[in-house]
Amino acid sequence: MTASPSSINRPAVLGVSLWVGLLIGISRWVGLQSYQWFPVQASTAAPLVDGLFSFETAIGTFVFLAVASVMGWVILRHRAEKYDATDAEPIEGNTKLEIIWTAIPFVLVMAIAVYAMKVNTRLGVLGPMEHIHLADAKEQQGGYPGDRLPAETIEVVARQWSWEFRYPEAGVSSTELHLPVDQPLTFRLVSEDVLHGFYIPAFRLKQDVIPGRAINFNLTPTRIGRYRLRDSQFSGTWFAANQADVVVDSQADYQAWLNQAAGLPLQAGISDAVTEYQKRLQQTPTPGWATVKPAPPPQVNVPGSNALPHDA
Amino acid sequence: MTTTTPQPLAEHGEAHGAHGGHNMTGFIIFLCSESVIFLAFFSGYALLKLSALNWLPAGVEGLEWRTPLLNTVVLVSSSGTIVLAEYFKAKEKIWLFRGFWLLTMAMGSYFLYGQAVEWGGLQFGFTSGTYGGTFYLLTGFHGLHVATGILLMAIMLIKSFLPGNYVGGEQGVQATSLFWHFVDVIWIVLFLLIYVWQG
Amino acid sequence: MPFPTTPEAMTTTPSLSQDQPKLSWTRYLGFSTDAKVIGIQYIVVAFFFFLIAGFLAMIIRGELLTPPADLVDRTVYNGLYTMHGTIMLFLFIFPVLNGLNNLLIPTMIGAPDMAFPRLNTAAFWLVPVFGSLLIASFFVPGGPAYSGWWSYPPVSIQNPLGNLISGQSLWLLAVALSGVSSIMGAINFVTTILRMRAPGMTLFRMPVFCWTALAAQSLQLIGLPALTGGAVMLLFDLTVGTSFYRPEGGGDPVLYQHFFWFYSHPAVYVIILPVFGIFSELFPVYSRKPLFGYVYVCVASFIIVGLGLIVWVHHMFPSGVTMWMRNLFMFTTMLIAVPTGVKVFAWLGTLWRGKLQLTTPMLFCLGGLINFVFSGITGIMLATVPIDIHVSNTYFVVGHFHYVIYGAAVMGIFAAIYHWFPKFTGRMPYEGLGKLHFVLTFVGANLNFLPMHPLGLMGMPRRVSSYDPEFAFWNVLASLGAFLLGVSIIPFLLNMISSWARGPKATHNPWNAIGLEWLLPSPPPVENFEEHVPTVISRPYGYGTGLPLVEHQAEIERQLILQEASA
Repeated sequence: MTASPSSINRPAVLGVSLWVGLLIGISRWVGLQSYQWFPVQASTAAPLVDGLFSFETAIGTFVFLAVASVMGWVILRHRAEKYDATDAEPIEGNTKLEIIWTAIPFVLVMAIAVYAMKVNTRLGVLGPMEHIHLADAKEQQGGYPGDRLPAETIEVVARQWSWEFRYPEAGVSSTELHLPVDQPLTFRLVSEDVLHGFYIPAFRLKQDVIPGRAINFNLTPTRIGRYRLRDSQFSGTWFAANQADVVVDSQADYQAWLNQAAGLPLQAGISDAVTEYQKRLQQTPTPGWATVKPAPPPQVNVPGSNALPHDA
Repeated sequence: MTTTTPQPLAEHGEAHGAHGGHNMTGFIIFLCSESVIFLAFFSGYALLKLSALNWLPAGVEGLEWRTPLLNTVVLVSSSGTIVLAEYFKAKEKIWLFRGFWLLTMAMGSYFLYGQAVEWGGLQFGFTSGTYGGTFYLLTGFHGLHVATGILLMAIMLIKSFLPGNYVGGEQGVQATSLFWHFVDVIWIVLFLLIYVWQG
Repeated sequence: MPFPTTPEAMTTTPSLSQDQPKLSWTRYLGFSTDAKVIGIQYIVVAFFFFLIAGFLAMIIRGELLTPPADLVDRTVYNGLYTMHGTIMLFLFIFPVLNGLNNLLIPTMIGAPDMAFPRLNTAAFWLVPVFGSLLIASFFVPGGPAYSGWWSYPPVSIQNPLGNLISGQSLWLLAVALSGVSSIMGAINFVTTILRMRAPGMTLFRMPVFCWTALAAQSLQLIGLPALTGGAVMLLFDLTVGTSFYRPEGGGDPVLYQHFFWFYSHPAVYVIILPVFGIFSELFPVYSRKPLFGYVYVCVASFIIVGLGLIVWVHHMFPSGVTMWMRNLFMFTTMLIAVPTGVKVFAWLGTLWRGKLQLTTPMLFCLGGLINFVFSGITGIMLATVPIDIHVSNTYFVVGHFHYVIYGAAVMGIFAAIYHWFPKFTGRMPYEGLGKLHFVLTFVGANLNFLPMHPLGLMGMPRRVSSYDPEFAFWNVLASLGAFLLGVSIIPFLLNMISSWARGPKATHNPWNAIGLEWLLPSPPPVENFEEHVPTVISRPYGYGTGLPLVEHQAEIERQLILQEASA
């Protein structure tokens, strides 16, 4: 038995319209607030990602508040009287309603998907991803010369547990990633051991680093500052400590840094894991359970720092 | 208010066996699920083969396919002999049933023997890269199923000598036979993937 | 083929009190083949492991109160979070749902037991076996598995001590046994539902809980073998040195991810579909209204099954997958919102203009529903690739899935326990303790998991034993919520134990609900309806229609009331 409305309840329609209007207003406001939940925007990807998220937040807020309103209304107004154990109206369904609430969500999610696909294309982050031979345990300076593609500017070598950044053209290596602002860059991501995740929240970008592959990754930084690079794919004991800093400089400062770095002798780069591991060896009995030994810190021109204040 | 004496629970238990039609349902569901594990291994094999930089290990040219083809013919034919066995069972010719059933077991055993001989003569091992790993995994897992099938058939053969064995139905024989066909189909796919697709 | 009944049985009713042997509580400790006993065994064992995994969570949140890794060693932290997830999934949530299946499926469809009672016993007893393996893994040299409940290689095959018996190999063995147990259960549940329904109970007269159970168990049958295959290859890599996933030998770590997620994505529907079933059963009872759009709700369950099998790569967007794959799986993932939405709207339609009774089960369903809607929204966000690239592997995801699992699924399970407790124990649970449990759970879950979303957006990765200081504020809030959740279990346990021991006796239908299980005594006899299986003549949830569910319903009710009066 389906219920059919006999006449239009004017105050109800007005009330619902006002409430819906209110919800729309709140949703739009929350959507705008959502930009503040992110770190500062430091790449061309960031505004695109934040914009899509804001759109989804607004829609999501509306859906959530609408459902909560219905639930709130029934809890307040449709409760059984204290000693009333009788049944309510036997409304079993409404085919028209079923069609509506299947079609509208379908259109909505497809619209969001299309928007997201367009953002994906504009982000254009992912380059070729080829399988490579894993080199010997100790990789040579310069990476895999035979595998290298022309667009690649910076090579990122992930290890348990450190990040090494190589600038093959300049012959420079570092454990602090320096980048020139407003310049499209292509990274070559390689791992010497296990899966790692190359994640810079301020850029809104992330790519897993896969041993046995070299993955090209594109991005353009847009804001000068110091940002965090965090390992985002669980890589073992010192996974949480596998963090590096990303320093975005003006073109001039970046070039100056490269030139200066090229002249510096190689020294041990940053690896918090190695430092903690040395301390661990001093303790008796050895704390905790078994661990893989950290790789020695990479030998680099510029160790840099990962303990300075960062913008995001 | 009228009551009847509820039927004793013992009779009830037998009534349970009477809808032994459930056993075949359950077994078929099990086989469908089991086929997915083979599908998983097949797709893993295909993915690793297609994306490999060097598929063949050093010193390995490929697989010899003639003897495996012969073994395949034997195994697939054994699906025919098991059908014959069931035919004779339906005709109540129990000794012909047992004969063809035993023949099927022998052909299956021959297949396993051929597999073991092939394994023994290969130039690569289980740990020889993805080539060795997938080869032994696929053929080994399949071989395990062949062995299980032979074991099931042995049990059915022994049970065929027990009086009153088929009173409740013949699901044991039917299930074993179905399992054997399943094992054969899997092998045909395996043969195509491993021995034919060697490019 | 429905269970046969004699013509006499149609006009007579069970008079069982004189025939019923006094059943001893010790049967819960043995190898009973009665699904109702096995169901309780599953649920009790599941909650035992829930407490263990919950305790691990308390240590995790204790560590995360402050930025540095100062409470436990990093190796210990990694083992703890791995085992927390593993135990919660394989030793709590899947067993507790199988427990509910055992209790509810035969009674709801009028069957005397499961199709394969001894297989049922075997499936249950595997749980304490692999549970012991997992607990034992804490005590082997090297400690338990430590690479997350996913066990991604190459980390999971590094095996620092080089032992054959390691936490990781025990983990793989345990998960393999869990898979065997689950498949045994799935074969049983599917066969029972398809073949043993009461006369007159066509598929579209079957309760939604059975529909969702059928859907969920189908997913288990299709998905688990893929995980088993992937895990077998991992075990060989770990123990004998094969190279399926080892790059040095030409293997591919991403291949494992495909196997893993091909099962583990459908696994989340295995978890939530029964909870959808619970909501669909309980909302009509406590709104005194039929389920809105019953047929659509049933069909939606299977659309979710189909779609659920083609979305798995959304767990791998930042991994080694190509752009076209990311787009394809984004589209398929978005589609799942549609049948899910049909169900959510059906529940809202059921509540609308009902006569709501805010009992403990109803409160848990309402709380579960709103939490579920929230997590559905963050799920849509995660489905869109550009957002997922930023927040995958961060606390945003941890917040999302804990909202679904704790906020919706666990709350739904609590609702089911309170609702069917009288039926299967014969006692009423205490309402006051139940409401307290609800309030602490609802507040605790939201306090624990809502702060995880800003943490993820700000860039805090998951699985970290230490974090940058800017993440401290939300972590403290989350930890407080976690401790509150720990406390919330106390009224639940007190309620269960004391109600079962000396709660007020329950009638056959304390909630005045419509369903075959409510036409049985509380607790039901060993073989439920035995030979007197009623014939179903209406669709379920006929509240307000005045139609009986079965033939001779008045006579059956009369008999039950007489029985209760004379007891």
